[in-house]
Amino acid sequence: MATTTLAPTAPTYRTGLYAWLTTTDHKKIGVLYVVNSFLFFFIGGLLALGVRTELAAPGLQFLTDTQYNEFFTMHATFMIFLFIIPMLAGFSNYVVPLQIGAPDMAFPRINALSFWMLPLGGILLLLGFVTGGTAAAGWTSYAPLSEDRPLAATGYGQDLWIMALVLIGTSSILGAINFLVTIFKMRAPGMTLFRMPILVWTVVVTSVLVLMATPVITSVLIMLFIDRNYGGSFFQPPGGDPILYQNIFWFYSHPAVYVMILPAMGFISEILPVFSRKPLFGYKAFVFATAAIGALGFSVWAHHMFTTGAVYLPFFSIMTFLIAVPTGVKMFNWVFTMWRGQLMLKTPLLFALGFLTMFLIGGINGAFSASVPVDFALHDTYWVVAHLHYVLFGGSVFGVMAATYYWFPKMTGRMLNETVGKAQFVLMFIGFNATFFPMHQLGLLGMPRRIADYASNTGWQDLNIVATIGGFTIAASMVLFLWNVFLSLRSGPVAGDDPWEANTLEWATTSPPPAYNFDRLPEIRSERPLFDVRHGRTSVH
Amino acid sequence: MASSPRSSTTQTALFAIALAGAIVGVFLILAYLGVNLLDEGGRFVSSLYPPVAVTTQGAQIRDLYTIVFVLAVAIFLVVEGLIIWTVIRYRRKPGDDALPPQTHGNNIAEFLWTIIPTIIVIFLFIVSWQTLNAVDTASANVQTKIRAVAAQFQWQFDYLADDGNTVEYTQFLPTAEIGGGMYVPAGRTIQLQLVSKDVIHAFYVPQFLFKRDVVPGRTNVFDFTVNESDAGQTFRGQCAELCGTGHSIMLFDVVAKTGAEFDTWLADNIKKASAAPAPPSGQPAPSGQPAPSGQPAPSGQPAPSGQPAPSGQPQPSAGGGGGGGGQAVNIEAEGIKFNESSVTAPADQPFTIHFENKDQGTPHNVAIREGSPSGNQIFMGDIFPGVATRDYQVPALKAGQYAFVCDVHPNMTGTLTVQ
Amino acid sequence: MTTDEKALLPVEHNPLASMPHDTHGGTSNPVLGMILFITSEVMFFGGLFAAYFNLRANAPQWPPEEFAHTLKILPFVGPATILLIISSFTCQWAVWAIRRDDRTVFIRGMAVTVVLGIVFLLMQITDYAFLGQEGLTLASGQFGTTYYTLTGFHGAHVFGGVVMLSVILYRGMAGQFSGRHYDAVEGASLYWHFVDVVWILLFSLLYLLPGKG
Repeated sequence: MATTTLAPTAPTYRTGLYAWLTTTDHKKIGVLYVVNSFLFFFIGGLLALGVRTELAAPGLQFLTDTQYNEFFTMHATFMIFLFIIPMLAGFSNYVVPLQIGAPDMAFPRINALSFWMLPLGGILLLLGFVTGGTAAAGWTSYAPLSEDRPLAATGYGQDLWIMALVLIGTSSILGAINFLVTIFKMRAPGMTLFRMPILVWTVVVTSVLVLMATPVITSVLIMLFIDRNYGGSFFQPPGGDPILYQNIFWFYSHPAVYVMILPAMGFISEILPVFSRKPLFGYKAFVFATAAIGALGFSVWAHHMFTTGAVYLPFFSIMTFLIAVPTGVKMFNWVFTMWRGQLMLKTPLLFALGFLTMFLIGGINGAFSASVPVDFALHDTYWVVAHLHYVLFGGSVFGVMAATYYWFPKMTGRMLNETVGKAQFVLMFIGFNATFFPMHQLGLLGMPRRIADYASNTGWQDLNIVATIGGFTIAASMVLFLWNVFLSLRSGPVAGDDPWEANTLEWATTSPPPAYNFDRLPEIRSERPLFDVRHGRTSVH
Repeated sequence: MASSPRSSTTQTALFAIALAGAIVGVFLILAYLGVNLLDEGGRFVSSLYPPVAVTTQGAQIRDLYTIVFVLAVAIFLVVEGLIIWTVIRYRRKPGDDALPPQTHGNNIAEFLWTIIPTIIVIFLFIVSWQTLNAVDTASANVQTKIRAVAAQFQWQFDYLADDGNTVEYTQFLPTAEIGGGMYVPAGRTIQLQLVSKDVIHAFYVPQFLFKRDVVPGRTNVFDFTVNESDAGQTFRGQCAELCGTGHSIMLFDVVAKTGAEFDTWLADNIKKASAAPAPPSGQPAPSGQPAPSGQPAPSGQPAPSGQPAPSGQPQPSAGGGGGGGGQAVNIEAEGIKFNESSVTAPADQPFTIHFENKDQGTPHNVAIREGSPSGNQIFMGDIFPGVATRDYQVPALKAGQYAFVCDVHPNMTGTLTVQ
Repeated sequence: MTTDEKALLPVEHNPLASMPHDTHGGTSNPVLGMILFITSEVMFFGGLFAAYFNLRANAPQWPPEEFAHTLKILPFVGPATILLIISSFTCQWAVWAIRRDDRTVFIRGMAVTVVLGIVFLLMQITDYAFLGQEGLTLASGQFGTTYYTLTGFHGAHVFGGVVMLSVILYRGMAGQFSGRHYDAVEGASLYWHFVDVVWILLFSLLYLLPGKG
C-alpha cells in the first residue's frame, strides 16, 4: 500500500489571515484559543501588577478607591473567564481529537463559533474601561452591592460584565457539548473508554461540569440584570434575598474551579509518564478519582458562605474535607508514576513538578478553610487569596506552561528553547512563591481582601513589599517566555513527529498535523498506542 | 540527544542540586518570616499563626488551628519530601537506556492512600465540628446586648436593653482614636446583633479569630466573651466584605473594660443621652472623649483608656446658642462626602459653621483638627443623622491651616484656612 | 478527484467532512448534541426555579395581597397550554412521517406545529397585556419579578423553537430530508418536546399550586 505523506503545505484556496478567521479546523481553533487566552493572561497580569503596586505602601499612590476595586474585579474576571477556562479548552480542542484518532471535532462550525464569542466577550469587558468604569464589585459581584447602590458600582460596567459573562458562558457550554459528542462518538476503532488517554477523561468530566453548572450562573446573572435594569427584586430586601444570589452563584462557581484544574491535571498526567518512561500509575484509580472530584464538586458550594450565618455548616464542611481524598489519590499516583522511573528533567517535567509541589500547598491550606471555626478567622482575608493562587497559579498556570512546552513542538513543528525554558521556570517558581506565600501570613495577621489601602501601623507593609517584588518577578519570567516563543518560532530546532518519545496518538502524525490529522492509524490495544508501536507490540494499519 | 556522558551527568546533577537548593532556600526564607516571633508575653506566636485570642471562643479556635497546622506541616513534609527525593533519586542518568519496570499500578497502595487520608479528614471534621458547637452556640446567660449597625462606610453600636430591642444609647464614633469604639465589659457574655442598612458587610476582629457577615434583610447574632485578663485593651476591627469605594476605611475598635468601668461608662452615656434632647445649636460631644493626641492614621492604635493630657488645647466644645456669631461658613455633606474641599474662616473671632447633612439617616458631623486630619482635634460638632441642619458655634482660632473632618467617616476631610 | 487528493483539501471544503464521522453507531451526533444542549437548558431553568421556590418560601403570603386573584383573570392560559401540548403531538407525527420517508405528511405536520407555536406566543403576549393593565410588572415585588422571568424565558425558548422548526420546515420543503437523513428533524423535535414539558411544569407551579398565607 502506498504511503501518502501528507505535508502541511498542501495547496488550499484560503490562505493567511482569511484562513485563520474562517477556519473550522480544531487545530487552528485550538491555537486561536491559546493565543487569545495568553493575550488576556497578560491583560489580567497587568491589572494584578497595578494592584500589587498600589498595595506596596500605605496610602493611595496612583489609584483611587474605585479604580482599585475595578482593577481587582477585572483581574479576576479576565483570569478566570478569558484566560484559564478557555486556555484549558484550547489545549483540549487541539489535542483531544488527535489523541482519540478523530479527524476533527463533532461540530466544527460550532467549535469556531465557540471561539469567536471569546474575543467579543473580552471587548465587552474592556469597554467598561472607556465608558465610565468597569464592574467594581469583585468578580463575585455580590448583591446588593452589584445592584448599583450608591457609592458602589456605577456606570455601564456591571451590565457589560453581565453580558460578557453570559456570552462567554454560552461559548463554554457549546464547547462542552462538542467535546462530549466527539469523545463518545468519534474514537478510532480499538479505543475503548478505558484505553483513552487520561487527558480525554479529564476533558469528559470537565465538560459534564461545564454543561451542568454554567447554565446556573447564566440564570443568576440574568436575574441580577433584571434587578439592576428592570426594577426586579430577586436579591434586594425586603422580600428579596442576597443569600439567594450567593447560593446560586456558588453552585456554579465552585464546580468552576474544577473546570479550571481538571484539564491541567490531565496535562500533567500525560507529561509525567512520558518523562518518567513509565505508564501512568493507577490509570483506573485516576479515572474514578476524577469522576469523584466532579461529583463531589457539586456538593460543596456553600463552603464559600460559612460566615453568612445562613448555611448548614456540618454538611458542607464534611463534603469539603472529603474532596481531599480523591485529590490525594491523584497526587500519590503521580508521585508513583515517577517512582522507579527514569526522569528526564526537561522543561515540561519541571513545570509538572512545579504543579505537584505547589498544588499540594494549595490543597493543604484549603483544608484550613474547610474547618469551619478556622474559616471564621480566615475567610475574606489574604489567606484565601494565597489559597486560590496556590491552586490556580501553582496548579493551573504551571500546568498550562507544562502543556505549552510539551505541545508547542506538535503545534508549530519547532522546539522551544530548553535553557530559556529552565530559566523561565526557576524565575517563575521563585516569583510565584515570593508573591503568594506571604499572603498566608497577611491573612493570619488580619488583612482583609479587596482593600485598596491599609494603615501604616498595621505592620502589613513588609510582607506586601515582598509580594509586590514577587509579582514583578513573575512578570519578568513571562517576558522570558515571550522571548522564547518568538525566538523558537523563528529559529527553533525542527521537532519532527515525536520529539519526546511519547505514548499517545497525536505524536503518530506530523508536526504540525495535516488537515485530516492522520494518514494511517496504529492499532489501538492500550492507552499508549504509540508506545506499543515503538516496542513492537502493535503495528500501523 | 547525544552528549558526552560525563557532562550530561554533571549538568543534570548540578541542575538538580541548584533546583533543590532554590526550593529549600525559598522555603527557609519564608519559614524565617513565618517564625518571626512577636513579643506576646511568652505565648507561642508566629506569623504562621493567628493572633493570640482575646475571647474564650477565639482561644478554642486557636487550639483547633494548632491541630490542623500540625497535620498540615506533617503532610507537607512527607509528600514534598517524597517528591523531591523521587526526583533526585530517579532522574535519568547516562546509561539508562533500557526501559524501567513498566508498573501499571498497585491496588493495595490505592486502598491505603484512599483509606488513610479519609480517616485523617474525618478526624479533622470531627474536631472542627466539636469546636464549632462550642464557639457558635447561643449562650443561655447573655449579660450584655449590643447591636452593630453597618452602613457604607461606617459602624455604629447600639447598646440595647434586656429585651434585645430597645436602644438605650448609640455610639456613633467607631474608632477609639477619637474616643469612640465599641466598649464591652470583659468577662461577661455579650450578644452582638448584626444589622446592615444597605449592602453586605462583615464584622471582623482579628484578635477574636472571628468574623460574621452583616447581611441586609437578616439579623445575624453571635455571642462572645472577652477574657477578663484582657480588660483595658483595644482591639482593631475592620469590615471584611467588599462594600464599595470606602471598604478599606470602614474600621472600628473594640474597647474592653472591666465590668465596673463599663457599667459606669454606659450609665453616664445613657444619662447624657436622655437628659439633653438635641437643641438646634449643638450639644456637648458624647462624654469620655479625650482630646486625641495626634495619632498617625485614622485606624491607628487608639489612645489608651487613661486620658492623655489635653496639652493646653481648648476642650472640645460646641458653644451654647446665641452670641459669638460672626460670619457663617457653609458646609454640606452628601453621599458620604463634603461638598467643599476647602473653606476659610476669620481669625481671632468666633464663627459659625452652618452644616447641612443631606444623607438620609446617616450620621455626620464637622470636627476641626490642627494642621491636617491626623492632628489634634480641637473642635467637635454634634453628630446627627440627616436630613437635617445644625449651626455649630466655633470659638476663636488663631490664623493658620486646619483640617475639618467627619468623625464618623474618616475619608471625609477638607482644609480650613483661618486668616 | 481521488480519495488521496480529497484528503489534501482543507476541512472546510472537503466533501468527506460532511459525513457523520461517528464510529460507534447508536444515537447520531446531532441528536446526542441536542440531548446535551437540553440538559444545559434544564439546568438554566433549574436556577430560575430555585430562585422562585426560595423567594416563595420566604414570603409571608403568596400570592401577595394585591395580586391574590390577578393570574385568574387571564383568558388564554388554559387554551394556550392545550395548543402547546397538541403541537408536541403534531411534531412527533411529523417525525414519524419522515422516518418512513413520507415527506408530504412530514411537511404538513411540521407546518401545523409551527403555526401552533406562533399562536401560543401570541396568546402569551395578549395575556401579558392584560396583566400589565392589572398592574403586574417585573417591578411588582418578588411575585411580579419571578412570574415574568419564568414565563418570559420560557416564551423566549418557544420563540427559539419556532425559529428552529421553521428552518426544519424550510429545509424539508427544499427536499433535504428523507427516510435515511433526518437527524436535524429529530433534534429539533426533542427541543420542542422539552419546551412543552417546561411549560407543563411552569403552568402547574404558577397557576395550579395553591397559595399560602
